[in-house]
Amino acid sequence: MRSMAILTDVTRCIGCEECVLACKRTNGTGADEPRRWQQTAEDLSESRWTTLVPAPGGRAVRLHCRHCLEPACASACPVGALHRTPEGAVAYDADICMGCRYCMIACPFQMTRYEWSSATPRVRKCILCYEKVSSGELDQPACTAACPTKATVFGTRDELLAEARRRIADAPDRYLNHVWGEHEVGGTSVLYVSDVDLATAGWPAALRPGSYPALTRPALHAVPWTFAGVGAAAFGLNWVIGRRRRLAGGEGPAGPPEGEGDGK
Amino acid sequence: MSGRPGTRLGVTKAVLWLLVGVAAAVGVVRYLLGLGLTTSLSDRTPWGLWIGFDVLAGVALAAGGFVIAGTVHVLHLERYRSLLRAAVLTAFLGYVAVVLGLMVDLGRPWNIWRPTLFWQPHSALFEVAWCVMLYLTVLALEFAPVVAEGLRLARVVAFLRRFTLPLVVVGIALSSLHQSSLGTLFVIAPHRVHPLWYSPLLPLLFLISAVALGLSMVAVESLSSSWLFHREPEWDLIGGLTRAAAPVLAAYLLLRLGDLGARGQLRLLFEPSWLTAWFVLELAVGVVVPLLLFSLPSVRRHRRALGAGAFLSVAGLVLYRIDVGGLAHAAGSGDGYVPALTELSISVGIVAAMALVFLFFVEHLRVWDEPPAPASRFRPAFTDLVSGVRVRAPWMGGARLSALAFTVGAVAGLGLVQARVARRSEPRPFPVSPPRSVLALRVPPHAAGTADRLLLTTSLVAPAPAVVESALLIGGPEPGKGVLFAHAAHQARLGGTGVSCVRCHHRNRRGDRATSCAACHRDVHARTDTFSHERHAAALGGNDGCVRCHAAGAARTREGSTPCETCHGRDARLGTGTAPAATRPAGVAVGYRDAMHGLCVACHRQEDVRRSDGAGRSRCAFCHRAGSAGGSGGGGSGPGGDPVLVARAGTMP
Repeated sequence: MRSMAILTDVTRCIGCEECVLACKRTNGTGADEPRRWQQTAEDLSESRWTTLVPAPGGRAVRLHCRHCLEPACASACPVGALHRTPEGAVAYDADICMGCRYCMIACPFQMTRYEWSSATPRVRKCILCYEKVSSGELDQPACTAACPTKATVFGTRDELLAEARRRIADAPDRYLNHVWGEHEVGGTSVLYVSDVDLATAGWPAALRPGSYPALTRPALHAVPWTFAGVGAAAFGLNWVIGRRRRLAGGEGPAGPPEGEGDGK
Repeated sequence: MSGRPGTRLGVTKAVLWLLVGVAAAVGVVRYLLGLGLTTSLSDRTPWGLWIGFDVLAGVALAAGGFVIAGTVHVLHLERYRSLLRAAVLTAFLGYVAVVLGLMVDLGRPWNIWRPTLFWQPHSALFEVAWCVMLYLTVLALEFAPVVAEGLRLARVVAFLRRFTLPLVVVGIALSSLHQSSLGTLFVIAPHRVHPLWYSPLLPLLFLISAVALGLSMVAVESLSSSWLFHREPEWDLIGGLTRAAAPVLAAYLLLRLGDLGARGQLRLLFEPSWLTAWFVLELAVGVVVPLLLFSLPSVRRHRRALGAGAFLSVAGLVLYRIDVGGLAHAAGSGDGYVPALTELSISVGIVAAMALVFLFFVEHLRVWDEPPAPASRFRPAFTDLVSGVRVRAPWMGGARLSALAFTVGAVAGLGLVQARVARRSEPRPFPVSPPRSVLALRVPPHAAGTADRLLLTTSLVAPAPAVVESALLIGGPEPGKGVLFAHAAHQARLGGTGVSCVRCHHRNRRGDRATSCAACHRDVHARTDTFSHERHAAALGGNDGCVRCHAAGAARTREGSTPCETCHGRDARLGTGTAPAATRPAGVAVGYRDAMHGLCVACHRQEDVRRSDGAGRSRCAFCHRAGSAGGSGGGGSGPGGDPVLVARAGTMP
């Protein structure tokens, strides 16, 4: 399956928020209601899966789930509720989610939102309209279909990477020579080209180039060995020390089933 | 035993029941109405006190269990056996606290069983979940003989004892995994955890500190329960525990500082910030001071010093977990998370409940070699205040005070929730200081193109060529930010005393005491200009038209020319973005964007309302369509070209 992706060209965005409206309509997220836990009503929220934030030079930059090639959220999920589909979307299954919110800690872009006011809360974020796209109801996500200036477009990741490179090559004066999402956090399915730096608009400078799930991998791979090693060491110590005690003068039995707590 | 059996204990229990009552009431509300009402958690701070304190610290407190079990069963240090049962019980209760904390914190706790069947071995939390489940079982089995003994089931006791060593060994292995895996949880979040705390070695640091914490924790347990039950603490054992804790603390300290150095972050220690201070405090209180108290021979002679050291190191190492689990995220998340009182009450309530269970076991089972004297069963009758009848309530017995405390607590808990509901419905405070008169220093422009500036002054003597004048200091939305408004200058520019006031004040706008600056200075940030001299010159007849705008003798500058509104007054419709002549400094044109949008959008919006057909004429995209989509004449946006405005035929009247 080809990995689908979105390319957003910041220089073409006029900040009209048609993508936000289309997303709301398609996903039925309802009206925005400023919540106590939101900084502003324009933040990403449970009812606003994509939004526009200002960038230097009066630019508007769209924020939504990056659909990482190696998603930290999905690797963090202890039940597999968040998972990467073959089409490249990072999808969510509320029925098996246990609501631990570890995904929200793990997401390096902090794009996940939560239904804080619900008694049966769900994690909310852009899912690339994957259900409707894979069922054929939509031929592309609602946001890219709605964009009036084609500032944000849908396609395969390879095509869009080539397109991004082509745009930068065609107008090197206009664009910064960087495709955001090509290498950050091991690559994302949501790519950006821009004429201004996006460090303050969703692409923090501190992002690591490599995969985030890989950070935890060494510790998790050590788990079986730690268990076996510590267990063997404890048994060994018990036997060695017990034997030395026995040889030294037989003060007390060394075997495990000794009478416990018989007073002293 | 002392002459007043159970006074200290009775009061402690009543307080604990009160705290449990508060938590119970808040807990019910949390399940009915969700986390948003009962916690300060937010999208930026998805984990708070419940994870940082109940889960991370709860597991930490349980460290005493595996440390003492290992000491007695693996290292054969028999003299510590008297501490073993209490330590295992504490560990078990610590893990129950963890599970309770998780149950309130999880958004969908009915799915908590899923990690057992649907394996996700790539998740650190999956490992934690398994460790909690398994170790909780192991601890229950380790403690089961004590319960069976209390129930006089000799054969069960004998059967269970056969598995002691395997259980202890599995428990130690599981604890090593679990203590470290709590550190592993945050290895994936370098973007959240402050670099003073973030390290790829978090699992190792958590494990080592857990050993030190376990040793100190057993000492603290022994000290506090001996205070509660008027027993003499086991000072020789506490001495041994603290002596063993010293090298572990030293190793932990070296590893933390060495890790900082290896990651090249030692410079952060010299950056002035509250996080740096907190880091130093955490290490000083939790590690350095206890290390000194535990290892200096002259100090070790004083028992109180050992006790203080044990308390400090428990506090400091629990703090380490709280920091990694949340406090050190503050810088990364940009959120000012302060736990809600309701949130705090649940955390405290869980700890109180575990303390009550601990006391119950201590009183009814042989947790210590020397069991405490049974609490006095005698309860004096009391006089009913209304009827004057002396009544007793034998069916409640000793539980009466506790039941009362629990009920009071539950009511208080509902009160806490109610207070939170009330506070949430109020609008968010917006700290703006009212305008006040100040003296300002007017500094003339230094270079061409810079305007003169107003500066706050404390002195009436102005250095030449600056002058002191009166101004209004208008507070901004953020503390410490504001604008120096040259009131006198505005007054003079807008027509002087008497005439100018109404230009800004008394404009009959709802809630508007003074017109905002932006109402007049609409073009402050305009980058482009609509005015085309060529087109005006052509339209006005070439050179014959000059005097239409430029009066004879007046400067041929924008300021010296006829204002736009003199001719275009009727074009500027009320309610559009073009400001009426009176509110805009003469001669300065509105910015291109403001003018165009102002001229079009207002009508579009009216038309939207009038037709109410949902066509969305006032939305940006109604006019701004991609050229390729618009077809002919649009021009479109070439590679990297600007989006182009394309007229859509037949959509406007």
